[in-house]
Amino acid sequence: MYRVRFHGRGGQGARVASKVLGTAAFLDGYYAQDFPLYGAERRGAPVAASTRISEDPIMERGVIPEPDIVIVMDETLLQDPLTMPVSGLKSGGIVLINTTRSQAEAKAEYKITAQVLTLDITKIGLDMLGMPILSTLAGGVAARIVGLSEESLTAAVKKVLAEIITDRKLLDKNVAAALYCFNAITPAKIELELKTTETIKKKSTVISLPFEHAEVSSPAINATGNTPLRMTGNWRVFRPAWNYDTCTRCMICVARCPDGCILVNEDGFPYTDYDNCKGCLICVEECPTNTLGKMREVHAKKAIGK
Amino acid sequence: MLTGNAAAAWGVRLAEVDYIPVYPVTPQTEIIETLAGWISNGVMDSRFVTMDSEHSMLTAAGSASATGARAFTATSSQGLLYGFEMLYAVAGWRVPLVMVNVSRGLSSPITLEPDHNDVLAARDTGFLQIHCETCQEVLDSILMAYRLAEDERVLLPIIVNLDGFYLSFTREPVEVPDEEQARNFLPLYQPKHAFFKASQPMAQSAAVLGGSGYSYFKYQMHMASQNALAVYKEVCDEFETGFGRNYDTVEGYMLDDADYVLVMTNSFSTLGKAAVNNARERGIKAGLLRLRLLRPFPVADLKAAIGGKKAVAIIDQNISIGNGGILHSEIASCLYTEKHRPLLLSFIAGLGGKNISPDEFEFIINKMIEGEDTGDTGTAQLIYTDKEWHEMERLKRMAGKG
Repeated sequence: MYRVRFHGRGGQGARVASKVLGTAAFLDGYYAQDFPLYGAERRGAPVAASTRISEDPIMERGVIPEPDIVIVMDETLLQDPLTMPVSGLKSGGIVLINTTRSQAEAKAEYKITAQVLTLDITKIGLDMLGMPILSTLAGGVAARIVGLSEESLTAAVKKVLAEIITDRKLLDKNVAAALYCFNAITPAKIELELKTTETIKKKSTVISLPFEHAEVSSPAINATGNTPLRMTGNWRVFRPAWNYDTCTRCMICVARCPDGCILVNEDGFPYTDYDNCKGCLICVEECPTNTLGKMREVHAKKAIGK
Repeated sequence: MLTGNAAAAWGVRLAEVDYIPVYPVTPQTEIIETLAGWISNGVMDSRFVTMDSEHSMLTAAGSASATGARAFTATSSQGLLYGFEMLYAVAGWRVPLVMVNVSRGLSSPITLEPDHNDVLAARDTGFLQIHCETCQEVLDSILMAYRLAEDERVLLPIIVNLDGFYLSFTREPVEVPDEEQARNFLPLYQPKHAFFKASQPMAQSAAVLGGSGYSYFKYQMHMASQNALAVYKEVCDEFETGFGRNYDTVEGYMLDDADYVLVMTNSFSTLGKAAVNNARERGIKAGLLRLRLLRPFPVADLKAAIGGKKAVAIIDQNISIGNGGILHSEIASCLYTEKHRPLLLSFIAGLGGKNISPDEFEFIINKMIEGEDTGDTGTAQLIYTDKEWHEMERLKRMAGKG
């Protein structure tokens, strides 16, 4: 059995990616099962989705605790202390990271011991679909890694997207992008490694829970709220970029920012709080003087401040 | 491939339901979204109404059922509890409403993932209950549920239960029966006791004082529920003839020659079956019994399945605070009069959707074997690992607790 876990952010398409992979496997004649897990249903929140592919009936359910393959659709999640995308990865397993970094750079940066593959899926999405939605692309990458056929991937993308979108052109673009991603991965090396993918079992022991006073055991949080420390700026695909030559200090951007992330400096000029700006680009849209433009964000930042 | 929720919607579509009042709640909402989509694009012909709460939703669904319409609704967890008063009311009307409950642990603390305290809270209401393990079973059970509930010997509402996330959002291969096949299995609902005709007025749900009337009506419900055991067998046989799939009141897995038996319900049973396979590879004669029909409680089938076994471990994915596992109590009471009672062990596991790992199942099976030697059944034990404890310690520190 292959166990594939996708990690992305709400809106990126981790759930659909797992469905594309599951459907492609089903069409290739395997037993398949896919399953998303998300908490808060909002854009930007971490989402995990699991796909199991097997020649025999699948006797597992739920999140995959020990995946063979992890697809990281948003590399900032690698530094999120609650998501921990690589946790449980089997020795000999594979991590594919959506990043502009090289394999060696990513491996070093994120201290991953398993085999790392990298692909700038976001760029492919922007180039081929015109938007950073990565569902079918990540599905294509995963389909190649587990060794599914191009035909089944194509059919799966069409089938899954037909339930979601009606735009025929966009659907065709997705098929092309998924196949592009499929072929961007070299499979020979992967198969060789995957043969060693067997669980190294760390036994877990069943314990008796001790009684603890309600001071500890009631579900209350005594620590000071840490929301201000959580820097939501690492969700950005694009950052707003300023050219102050034309700025008239009209403050429309300040009024329109939905997250209060445009502040005003001592000289009365607005500027972006990049630690928290999520890159919605409403400011760019609203700026009447073209002071604001957009730039692709390429490097991850730490998820939580010091 | 379909999710459990989509499979539920397919069951409703094939049952050609007339009236669907709804109110959204995670993880059930996909069911009503799917139905709304079909109704709006014309492939399904039903009246779909959005309500202002689960209480109103259940009132509307039960009332529609009391006019002779075939009604459906769905809810989950907090929603079920919010409409709870109406569960007793609707069951008392003796109307065959079919409701899906997508199990989710109850607040507080708040969660989205499944355990069965929500649906088991409804066990005394008069609703029959079918609990499902697979997405296929969800679809099939909805068809069976209408047949069972609408049978003249029964006429009680019914809950079809599936686990949130583990089934509701899990896609797996599902065979969708064709309309003709479903129609043959499930004839038109034409009640003699609940109708709505201007020419023939009637009042539903009389008031009774003094207790004797009340006792009469309540015990009639109980007997109708008991009748459902035999009717269920007929429905089950007919379903198998029509669709080729068998769903008895209980399902045995490697049970016939088993010495050590796990008893489970719902989607986590799949994990239990895998654990049975693992134990068999180690040479342990393990088996699993899955309870499918929870109300009426299939006492005779249960006795036949586990009476005489060496040890039985009831894995309750629920907790009756102050007593322990709900199913453990029910199974213990039905085995009490047996001559050859198996050793009965009680475990609480999978609360709030907590995974039950192969190691944890191994622990449970080993406990049965040890218990057989020592005769010690212990008290209800929570299945919780050292790793989970360490993680909890970390979270407690984050929350500022020492």
